[in-house]
Amino acid sequence: MNPTSGPAQALGDALAAEYAAIWAYGVIGVHLTEAARSAARAAEAAHRSRRDALVLQLSSGGGPVPADRAGYALPYPVTDRASALKLAVEIEERTAGHWRAALPHTTGADRNRALAALTDCALRATRWRRTAGVTPVTVPFPGRQA
Amino acid sequence: MVLTCPVATGRRTSDQGTPGHSRRALLRAGALVALGGAAVPLTGCDLFDRDDESKPPDPLEPLAAEATALEARYRAAATAVPALAERFTPIADAHRAHAEELRKVIGRPAPSGSPAAGPSEAAVDPDTVRTELRQAEQEGRDNAAKACAAAPAERAALLGSIAAARATHVEALK
Repeated sequence: MNPTSGPAQALGDALAAEYAAIWAYGVIGVHLTEAARSAARAAEAAHRSRRDALVLQLSSGGGPVPADRAGYALPYPVTDRASALKLAVEIEERTAGHWRAALPHTTGADRNRALAALTDCALRATRWRRTAGVTPVTVPFPGRQA
Repeated sequence: MVLTCPVATGRRTSDQGTPGHSRRALLRAGALVALGGAAVPLTGCDLFDRDDESKPPDPLEPLAAEATALEARYRAAATAVPALAERFTPIADAHRAHAEELRKVIGRPAPSGSPAAGPSEAAVDPDTVRTELRQAEQEGRDNAAKACAAAPAERAALLGSIAAARATHVEALK
């Protein structure tokens, strides 16, 4: 994340984060059951629609549209419910960070969209913390690196 | 022009013991003149005594005051409903952190006379307390989102985080 980069770069970074989130939820979902699994599916769908909107936005702007990768390295083995929930929280925080970084580079409707995306990521992180039994369920500055 | 006016000595007694010609006051006055003095009533010596009040208020003042008021409400709620203190206290801390960051960005301390405490929680029924706080957070979230939309680039990220945090507070109160 380079805070001095331009809008296309900032949105491209957000797109890369969305790709990674979609991929991660594939791994996360299989270790969850019932309500948590449904929540993971809903989260994945939300990230897909952000991805689609970004691809449209970036391609209509005529700039480069970063491509998805075939796979990603997990920061740690995800083998059970606990590690899956931990990854879900981290993925949402990370994606929130990229959307937050897009805010200074956008104005008007684009900024509102970035804020909506940041807020959605922060809300999902809060819900995952609650599911995981992590307290507090909130952080003071969603998307800001600690 | 302002600087040529004799400074009312003895009126500033608290500022490092140098009445009148304190370096800070001169620098401040210089900054005001450099800004063109627009909207500043140039009434000579008085300028030194009320420089902060004569600058137009920062558009983020209401948001900073709201953060301080929300913090006070959560502290009061934590006292009124000890069973929920564990939930309320981190949120109160977050509002305090928001107020501090907003103050840094504004670059001025809270105006004197701004309320240190918000309305006290009359209701002690835990559900009512939570409902009222949720409403206040929802309003606060909308205010922060509007401020974020209107803000210059350098303020957008902070305001975005504050709006998102307030949204998560609504969620945490469910």
